[in-house]
Amino acid sequence: MENLHVDALVLGGGIAGMQAALDLADQGFQVALLEREPSIGGKMITLSKVFPTLDCCSCITTPKMSAVAHHPNIHLLTYCEMQSVAETGSGFRLAVVQKPRYVDVNKCTGCRKCEYECPVTLPSPFDRGLGAYRAIRVPFSTAVPQTAVLDIENCILCGKCEKVCAAGAVDFTQRAETFEIQATTLVVASGFELTPLNAKKEYGGETLQNVIDPLMMERFLAPTGPYGRVLRPGDGKEPTSIAYVQCAGSRDQTLGVEYCSRVCCMYAIKQAMLISGALPMADITIYYMDIRTFGKGYEQFYQNAQAMGVEFVRGKVAAIREDDEQNPVVKVELTEEGRIIERTFDLVVLSLGMVPTAGADGILSLPLGEDKFIAIPAPNANPCETARPGIFVTGTAMGPMDIVDSIITAGSVASAASAYIREHQKETAYA
Amino acid sequence: MPDKQKAARKAASPDKEEVRVGVYTCHCGGNISHVVQCERVAKALGKMPDVVVARTDPSFCSDAGQAIIEQDIQELGINRVVIGACAPSLHEQTFRNTVTRAGLNPYLYHHVGIREQDSWVHDGDPEGATEKAVRLMAAGLAKARLLTPLEPIRLGAEKGALVIGGGVAGLRAALDIAHQGIRVTLVEKSPFLGGRMAQLESIFPTDEEPRQLLHALIEQAAAHPSITILTGAEVTAVSGYVGNFNLQVTQHERGLSEELAEALLAACEQEAPDNFNYGLTRRKVVYRPYPGCYPSTPAVDWEHYDGRPIQVDGKAVVLKDKPQVHALTVGAIVLATGFNPYEPRQGEYGYGEITEVVTLPQLIRILAQVPQGEPLIWNGHPVRDVALIHCVGSREIEGVHTPQDDGQVNNYCSRVCCTASLHTALELRRRFPEINLYELYQDIRTYGRGHEEIYNQAQSAMVHFLRYRGEKQPEVAAAPPGDTHPALVRVVDTLTYGEEIEVPVDLVVLAVGMMPSPIDALVDMLKVSRGNDRFLLEVHPKLRPVEMAVRGIVLAGTAQGPMNIQESLSAASAAAAKVAALLGQGRVELPPFVARVDESKCDGTGACVEACQEEGAIALQTFQENGHEVRRAVVTPANCTGCGACVGVCPKRAIDVQAWTLAQYEAMVDALAMDIPAFAEAEK
Amino acid sequence: MASNPKAKQPKILILATLAGGYAGADSTGQAHADYPANTYILPIMCPVMFPPEFFVRAFERGIDGIIIMYSGTDSPYKVEADGTAALVNSSYALMKERGIDIRRLRLAAICTVCVKPFLKEVNQMVELLQGIGFVKDELAAPVTASA
Ligand SMILES: Cc1cc2nc3c(=O)[nH]c(=O)nc-3n(C[C@H](O)[C@H](O)[C@H](O)COP(=O)(O)OP(=O)(O)OC[C@H]3O[C@@H](n4cnc5c(N)ncnc54)[C@H](O)[C@@H]3O)c2cc1C
Ligand SMILES: Cc1cc2nc3c(=O)[nH]c(=O)nc-3n(C[C@H](O)[C@H](O)[C@H](O)COP(=O)(O)OP(=O)(O)OC[C@H]3O[C@@H](n4cnc5c(N)ncnc54)[C@H](O)[C@@H]3O)c2cc1C
Ligand code: SF4
Ligand code: SF4
Repeated sequence: MENLHVDALVLGGGIAGMQAALDLADQGFQVALLEREPSIGGKMITLSKVFPTLDCCSCITTPKMSAVAHHPNIHLLTYCEMQSVAETGSGFRLAVVQKPRYVDVNKCTGCRKCEYECPVTLPSPFDRGLGAYRAIRVPFSTAVPQTAVLDIENCILCGKCEKVCAAGAVDFTQRAETFEIQATTLVVASGFELTPLNAKKEYGGETLQNVIDPLMMERFLAPTGPYGRVLRPGDGKEPTSIAYVQCAGSRDQTLGVEYCSRVCCMYAIKQAMLISGALPMADITIYYMDIRTFGKGYEQFYQNAQAMGVEFVRGKVAAIREDDEQNPVVKVELTEEGRIIERTFDLVVLSLGMVPTAGADGILSLPLGEDKFIAIPAPNANPCETARPGIFVTGTAMGPMDIVDSIITAGSVASAASAYIREHQKETAYA
Repeated sequence: MPDKQKAARKAASPDKEEVRVGVYTCHCGGNISHVVQCERVAKALGKMPDVVVARTDPSFCSDAGQAIIEQDIQELGINRVVIGACAPSLHEQTFRNTVTRAGLNPYLYHHVGIREQDSWVHDGDPEGATEKAVRLMAAGLAKARLLTPLEPIRLGAEKGALVIGGGVAGLRAALDIAHQGIRVTLVEKSPFLGGRMAQLESIFPTDEEPRQLLHALIEQAAAHPSITILTGAEVTAVSGYVGNFNLQVTQHERGLSEELAEALLAACEQEAPDNFNYGLTRRKVVYRPYPGCYPSTPAVDWEHYDGRPIQVDGKAVVLKDKPQVHALTVGAIVLATGFNPYEPRQGEYGYGEITEVVTLPQLIRILAQVPQGEPLIWNGHPVRDVALIHCVGSREIEGVHTPQDDGQVNNYCSRVCCTASLHTALELRRRFPEINLYELYQDIRTYGRGHEEIYNQAQSAMVHFLRYRGEKQPEVAAAPPGDTHPALVRVVDTLTYGEEIEVPVDLVVLAVGMMPSPIDALVDMLKVSRGNDRFLLEVHPKLRPVEMAVRGIVLAGTAQGPMNIQESLSAASAAAAKVAALLGQGRVELPPFVARVDESKCDGTGACVEACQEEGAIALQTFQENGHEVRRAVVTPANCTGCGACVGVCPKRAIDVQAWTLAQYEAMVDALAMDIPAFAEAEK
Repeated sequence: MASNPKAKQPKILILATLAGGYAGADSTGQAHADYPANTYILPIMCPVMFPPEFFVRAFERGIDGIIIMYSGTDSPYKVEADGTAALVNSSYALMKERGIDIRRLRLAAICTVCVKPFLKEVNQMVELLQGIGFVKDELAAPVTASA
C-alpha cells in the first residue's frame, strides 16, 4: 500500500462519512475515506425503507456509495483499521492497517464464483444472522467495492475458490499491510451500535426467541432481505400480533443510557406501517411513554400510522416472558388506566437505543461526554468541533440522530473542516 | 482491432450512425418488481426496433447495476440508453454520470419513472401496471431514438453569494461561505442582526448567554473583509439564474448621523410597542433593542415614527427615510429568513382576553426584566402558580383545531418548545423556589443531546406534569371574582387515569410553536416552493436536504422548519458547503434544455420573438448569405428558460427545445397509442 | 380496479410540468394512492411548447383523453399561466372543427404536493371516458353541422 497525503481523512463510511467525504471532495479537497468493514454503507445500507418518505433505502444509499467510489478526489480505503495517530506540525499522521482480504482487489471482478463454490456456510451479520453467507463472499449484493473477502477464521482451506476464480484473484498468502496517511484534518464518522438486546434482563432479549432487535426487523422487511417477508425467527410462523416496546434501551438511568435515542420512535412507527402493508391482518401495538416524532413531516407520519390502525398504547413494559408456544407475553402497566395487564403476542420488537461505536475515540484521545459520545465543547457555536483542534465529528458519532440529521451534520462538518484546512494550510505555507 | 474496441469507438461518435438502444428495467429492490413484471417489460421492449439489449436488475443505481450499463455501452456499442426506474428527480443525474463514465454523451440517455407513477400507484393491478410500464418504456425508447448529443451550457459564475436573513443561521452561513474565499452580502430586514436568538436569555442545553454567542459570530462577520452587511434591507427584485442572479436590495436609511444619534435617542419622545419584548413594553421610535446590539447605532422605527421633529440642542430634527437601492450580482442565494413564534388566535386559551395568558417567548422577555433575587409580579399580583401549556399552534389536528386563514392547521411538531419550556420551568424554579409549576403536555420531546437531562431535572425539581390528549385540549378561563387566583386551567389528565383537574393559576404560559417568517414576496420573486407546513421545501430530505429546486438557492436554519440553535448552525454550515462547491470553480453548468433554431428552416417570421417573454432570450438577426440578406431568429442560451413558447408558434417548425423536441413528443404519443404486438405476443 | 386484458381501456395522456404536475404525480406515488393504470404521464417543461395541432394529432392517433397538468401562476416560466390558457382555447376551437369532444382535453393546475387534486383530475377523466367512449368512434362518426 502506498502512503497517502490528503487534506482530510474521514473515518467511517456510513451515510455521515460518505456525505462528508462527498461534500469535501466536491469543494476540491483530496479526501481519504477509511472504513473498517469490507464495504462502505454503514447501518443505512441494511435498512428496509426509510422514514419519513418511505423511500427504498438502497435507492438512496447505493448511489451515494457509488458516487464515493467514483469521485476523483476520494481515496476509498475499505477493510482498513486505524492504529495510531500522531500530530505533526501540518496535521496528523496515521498508521493504518490494510487487513488481508485474501483476494486481490485489482483482479477480483465481483463475479461471485468463489462464493458459489465455497462449502462453508455462516450466518451473515449483514442479515443480522438471519441469512447465510459463505466463508468467501462479496459482503452483500450492493457492496462497494464489489470485491470478495475471505473470512480466514472460518475457512477450511479447501482451495475451491482459488481454483474456480478465473481472474486468479484469490490469494491465501496475503498479509496485513501497514501504511501511512497524512491528513490536515480528521473527520470522525464512526457511527453507532444498538444498545445490547439483553441489557434489560426483564425483557428477555437474547433468551426469548421471539423477542428481536429492530435491525433484524429491518432485514425481514427489506426487499433484499433473506426471506423477503416477516416471520418469527423461532419457528418461521407468520406473526399476526406484534408489539413494540419503546425506550427499551434508552431513557433509563439503570442502563447508563439516560438520553433519548431519537430514532426509535420513528423507526418503530415506520416498521409498523411497513408490517401493516406486508401483513394486513396483523395487529401492531406500540407501548410508549412519549412519542417523539419531532422532525420535519414526522408528526404527519405518526398520524398516518394511527389512521392505518397501528395501536399506540401508553404504558410501561415491566417484563416479558414466554408461554408454552414460545409466544412472548408482555406485562405492561397501562399508565392511562392505572392497570397492569399481560398480553400475548407472536413477536416483540425491542426498540433499542443507540450507543457510540467504540474504538476511534480512544486512538484519537478524544474526550467523551457523560453520554459516552464524543464531547462537543461548544454545541451552540461550533456544533461539530471536538475538543481536539483539527478533529471534527459528524453523524451518530456525535449523538443519536436519524439519516436526515446525519446528512445535515455531514454538510456542516464539511464546512468546518474546509475552513480549517484553508486556514491551516495558509499558516503552514508561511511557516 | 478487437470487436470490443471497435464498438466502443463507434459509440463515441454517435452522429448519423446506427442507433443502438439499451433498455434497462429496474426492480428497485422489489419496489417496482413487486407489482410490475419487469422481465415481461424487458422481453417486450427487447423486441422493439433498434433495441440491442433489454435487461433487468435488482437495482441499476447500485454500483454493480451501473457497471452493467457501462459495460453494455463499451462492449455492445450501445449509444442510447433508456432506464425505467424510480422518479427522474431521484436518479436521472446518477445515470447521466454513469453513461458519461462509459464515454457516452450524457444526453443520450432517457429516464422513465415507473415507480412513483406506476408500481406505487397500481399495486392492485399488476397486469395494468405492467402494460403501462411497457408503454411508458416504449415511449421512452421512441424518444431515445431521436436524442442527439448535447453539451451543457457553461457560464461564468459570480463568486459571490447573498444571504437573506441575519439570524444565527444567516450569520453562520455568511461566515462559512466567506471562509471559502467567496464574497458575501448579508441582507437583514430589521435594523439589527441576531434574529430570534437575541431575544433569548439563557439557552439550552448549555445555559449559555445567547447574545454573547451571537456577538462572537457577529464580530467575526463584521470584521471579515469579504462580508458586506446590509441591515434594514430587503430584496425587492430578482432576475437571472444560478451563477448570475441579479438582485435589487432596498435599504432603509438609518436616519441618524453618528454625531446626533445618541442625542436623538435621548431626546426622542414618541413611543411604539417594543417588538423585541413581543409588544409587552413600549420603547422610543428611535431605539436600540438591547444594549450591545449590532450595529450599535440606534435605528428609527420607520413604521411607527410619525414624522414629528425631535428637539436636539435647540434644533428641530425631522428624520427622513430615503431608501437606497443596491444592485448586486451573485452566484448563489442562501435563504435564512427564520421563523416567527406562533401568534395564538384571540381567545385561544384565553390569549388576548385574559391578561394572565402569555406566550413562552413573552415569558422569557418578562423574566429578563425581573432583576435577579426579586419576586415575579404579574399584573400587580405575585405569581404563585404557573401553568405551561405545550403544543400551542403545533401538532394541531384537522377537525379538532380551528384552521388558520389559509384553511390549514399546523399539524407539525415545533421541536424546540418542549425543551424550551422545561428549560424555562427550571429557570423559574431556580429564581422563584416557591412557585408551583405545572406542565401540561401531550408527549415530552426532549430528544436532543443534553435535553433529557433537563426533563429529568424538571421532574426532580417538583414540576407537576399533567398529560392531555390532542383531541381534548386543556381549557383556560378567568376565575370568578374573589377567587384566590385570577385564572383557572382545566385539564383531563391521563396520568391520573383521566381525572379532570382544575388548577388555579396566576400565569398561563403558552409554549407556542414556530411558523415561517412571512416571506410571500420573496417566495414569489425567487419562484421557490413551500411544503404543506408552509416552510421552505428542500428538494429531497435525504438526497439534497439543504438545496431548493431552483438551482443556486439553498436553505439555512428555521426557514426550512423548526430547529434549535445547534441544528440551525449545522444546517447553515451544510448550506455553505453547497455554495462553496457550486461557486468554487467560478463557473456553473446549466442543462442544455434551451431553444435551438434550425437554420435551414427558419425564415425569420419572428413569431417566436413575439411569443417569448424572457428578456434577451431570442431576437431576429440579419445575416449576409450568398450576397442575400436573411433574417433568422437567434437564441441566447443563458437567458432562455426552455419554456418553448417559441416552439408552439413557429409556423415552420424551425425551433425546438433541445432534448424536449416536438418530434420527440409526437414519437412518444405514437408509442403510447400504438398496439404493442410484441407485448401481445409475449402474452401467448 | 384490475384491468381485464381483453377489454381495451381508453388511453389517457397526461402532460405534466416538471415543476408542477409531474412532481405532484410523484408525490401521489409516494403517498401510495391508487388510480387507474391507463394513464400515461409524460414530463414536459411547460405546455406552451405545444401547438393545438399536437393535441388533435394525438387524438387522431388514438389517445382518448389528455390532461395538461401545469403549474399555473406558480410556474417558473412567465408565459405559462396565460399562455397555456390561450393554447387550450385555441385547441378547443380546432377540436370542435375536427369533431372531437372538447371535454377530452382538460387543463388542471397541479403543484408538487397536490395529491388529492391529482387523483380528482385523473378520476374525473376516467369517468368521463367511460361515458363518452373511445375517440376513434367519435372521429369515425360524421361531424355534426353544429360543431
Ligand atoms: C432499526 C433502525 C432503523 C432506522 N431507520 C431509519 C429510517 O427509516 N430513517 C432514518 O432517517 N434513520 C433511520 N435509522 C437511523 C440511521 O440508521 C442512522 O441515522 C444512520 O445510519 C447513521 O449513520 P452514521 O454514518 O452516523 O453511522 P453508521 O451507519 O453506524 O456508520 C458508521 C461507519 O463507520 C465505520 N466505523 C466505525 N468505527 C470505525 C473505525 N474505527 N474505523 C473505520 N471505520 C469505522 C462503521 O463500520 C460504519 O460503516 C434507523 C436506525 C435503526 C437502528
Ligand atoms: C421560546 C423559544 C425558546 C428557544 N430557546 C432555545 C434554546 O434555549 N436553545 C436553542 O438551541 N434554541 C432555542 N430556540 C430556537 C432558536 O430561537 C432558533 O433555533 C434560532 O433562533 C433560529 O435561527 P434562524 O437564524 O434560523 O432564524 P431567526 O432567528 O428567526 O432569524 C431570521 C432572520 O431573518 C430576518 N428576515 C426574515 N425575513 C427576511 C427578509 N425577507 N429579508 C431579510 N431578512 C429577513 C429576520 O429579521 C431575522 O433576523 C428557542 C425558540 C423559541 C421560540
Ligand atoms: S425516540 Fe422514542 S423510543 Fe427512542 S428513546 Fe426517544 S422517546 Fe424513547
Ligand atoms: S416540541 Fe413538544 S411542545 Fe413543541 S410541538 Fe413538539 S411536542 Fe409540542
